[in-house]
Amino acid sequence: MTRDDPASLGFLTVLEHEQLGLVGGYLILNTAGRPLEFHCTAPVKPNRAQEILFGPTLESYLYGEQIGQALITKSDLLPLAVCTDIERVLSVRPYVSLPVALVVRDVEVSPSEAVATGAASVPGTYWRIDAAHRASDHLTQFALGTNRLAVSAGHIADRDTITASLTEVATFDLGEPFERIREAVEEAHKTNHV
Amino acid sequence: MDKPSVESWQPDFSLSTTTVALPSLVQPALETPWPADVLRSQPSVYSLPLGSNLAAAVSLKIAPPKLKIESYRFGMPSAWRAPAQATPAEVAASPCPPKTRTRIEPPSDVVKLEDRLFYLLQPSLEALIGDCSLSFPAHPFGYQFEGIAFLYPRYAAVLADEMGLGKTMQAITAVRLLLHAGELSTVLLVCPKPLVTNWQREFAHWAAEVPTVAIEGDRTRRRWQWEQDDVPVKIANYELLQRDRKVIAELGLHFDLVVLDEAQRIKNRSSATSQCVRSIPRRRGWALTGTPVENSPRDLVGIFEFLSPGYLHDEMKPRKMGKAAADFICRRTKDKVLTELPPKMFRDAEVELTSSQRASYELAEKEGVVRLTEMGDEATIQHVFELVLRLKQICNFDPASGESSKFERLAADINEVAASGRKALVFSQWVATLETLAARLKRARPLLYHGKIPPAKRDGILDEFRNDPKRHVMLLSYGAGGTGLNLQCSEYVFLYDRWWNPAVEDQAINRAHRIGAAGPVTVTRFLALETIEQRIDQILREKREIFDTIFTDAEPTQHTGLTQKEVFGLFQLRCPNGPIDVAA
Repeated sequence: MTRDDPASLGFLTVLEHEQLGLVGGYLILNTAGRPLEFHCTAPVKPNRAQEILFGPTLESYLYGEQIGQALITKSDLLPLAVCTDIERVLSVRPYVSLPVALVVRDVEVSPSEAVATGAASVPGTYWRIDAAHRASDHLTQFALGTNRLAVSAGHIADRDTITASLTEVATFDLGEPFERIREAVEEAHKTNHV
Repeated sequence: MDKPSVESWQPDFSLSTTTVALPSLVQPALETPWPADVLRSQPSVYSLPLGSNLAAAVSLKIAPPKLKIESYRFGMPSAWRAPAQATPAEVAASPCPPKTRTRIEPPSDVVKLEDRLFYLLQPSLEALIGDCSLSFPAHPFGYQFEGIAFLYPRYAAVLADEMGLGKTMQAITAVRLLLHAGELSTVLLVCPKPLVTNWQREFAHWAAEVPTVAIEGDRTRRRWQWEQDDVPVKIANYELLQRDRKVIAELGLHFDLVVLDEAQRIKNRSSATSQCVRSIPRRRGWALTGTPVENSPRDLVGIFEFLSPGYLHDEMKPRKMGKAAADFICRRTKDKVLTELPPKMFRDAEVELTSSQRASYELAEKEGVVRLTEMGDEATIQHVFELVLRLKQICNFDPASGESSKFERLAADINEVAASGRKALVFSQWVATLETLAARLKRARPLLYHGKIPPAKRDGILDEFRNDPKRHVMLLSYGAGGTGLNLQCSEYVFLYDRWWNPAVEDQAINRAHRIGAAGPVTVTRFLALETIEQRIDQILREKREIFDTIFTDAEPTQHTGLTQKEVFGLFQLRCPNGPIDVAA
């Protein structure tokens, strides 16, 4: 991986399969949104001993250190940043040198809910902030074009790096590529590659 | 690091114990001369061995297991680069893309996972177009995006949309996107000669940055045009292609994509056109046609011989053929996808022949049938056709008196069209009929468009019809005016006589009923009662059933192939032998 590579952006997610376990997918796109690399893991399922020994840290260990790190390390290209749609994947950040950001998805809520949360003050857009969907307090949120991103409070410098380097793709819907990853993983699964 | 043996590890937490026999500290009285206190200053020392295995300590290595990772690398797009990208102003002028996302799905014949993922991982077409690198003069309809997404990944495809849905635009846009993606660099588009300028115009409209060249002129010029490798899209007509077949071979040309417009031209596999087209070296092949099946399912087999030789064969039942070809064919009809298009209304104008027409007709039929009967087994299909054509001409105009009940009806309708400031198209299969109509409809200032009009004059005639408000009628032959023309300014279409197959009639009707149509299109189909026209109409209906069997799930009502027996049967004649193809 070198910085001489053409400008690209990484999208990292982990899919949860009821029977198989966790499957990681990592897609690198050029600035026109075309795919350059795609990597996916075989399913990972923690055993009982791991569940006991890792306790509450198991998820961040699996999503970040184990799956995320393995996928990012495997790629040839060095993207400007890595986006994820799952907060737990941010735990990969200490293990990689790339800035990592969570793409905060807006979820439409009922008007009454919006009024209750104060989101109704922004016409047409509601941000769901109930516990299940609100970005955690240890995250720092910021806007990039039409997207809303968040970085770990422990890596606050990533915000400036991303804002500076991703201006070219600010108009992209950064949540869209995760749909492609899901379809690709399903396709690979259908053909028994995953 | 080694995979941890987490599951197999079962630590033994039971403590190891050792039984130690402690010596008694109570000493027996010794018989010694030393006093007792002296004895106490010399205590005995005992060691108690505790042992090293009092508790077993076990270390457990928690190493992450090795993850199996599948990797796919697609490479950067390269090859052709647009000489002039859209300027920011042009991009800004482009309408905003819709919120829908049309994704490219890999076709079923792409089996390698890497190839399938390549297409699955592409952005939506709307995103590609909306990323400000491509401008569009008008935003495509949703079904057009789907058509583009259908063509994009396919190496063999038939875009069989009903006429007027924009096959040309969809093909051009798919070519454009593939050129920009670096997946194509050489494209050959083959179309009927009258449509070459239309294709050039459409390319300029929908893909202004893509250079095209029409192969034309003398031999030397054409050779130079074929050699131009900086022009990605070459447009040639079918006839010329046959003439230049040798040149293409000599130059060793190979095309990334060959697109056939009006691909029904190659339905006959033994024709020189089909053989020539199939001989062009190519990586991909697309066929554009609104009528992939005109006469029989064998028409589709003929087209597939270009796309994927041997994939379909004559012995296949229509239903099986339709199933096998389904993934290669994209067929939409206006009523399904273009609900915003004005309606198309049909009127069957059934007319009684005038008395003089009837007399001429019956005489001609009687003489013709007698002649055919006398010929016996010598009678050929050609002889029958000659009689059919003769009778149809009498249905148009009585050669003896010049009378025509059809014309009387048409003239009344045309007067109404002209009076209301509308425009009408009138189709016939004979130039002579068109010329007679032109003379009789002089007050409506009709324009003529048929095979005898020099190609250089045709565009001017079309422009005049479209733009001159005093031109209310255009008289066209099915052959010259039935395909590729955009005449949405017309709200009326008259089929003065009927063609052998409904597909050609549909083509004609859809010159007016297509995208951009200003209002409802009224189609009037003339039919002389109790004549050969009525009998042919029955055959046309049956042909439509063939088409529906292949392209829909409708149950076939009966065998509908047009056989020699049926053609002879038009006159209750005995068929000499075997089934044959009937000319379109």
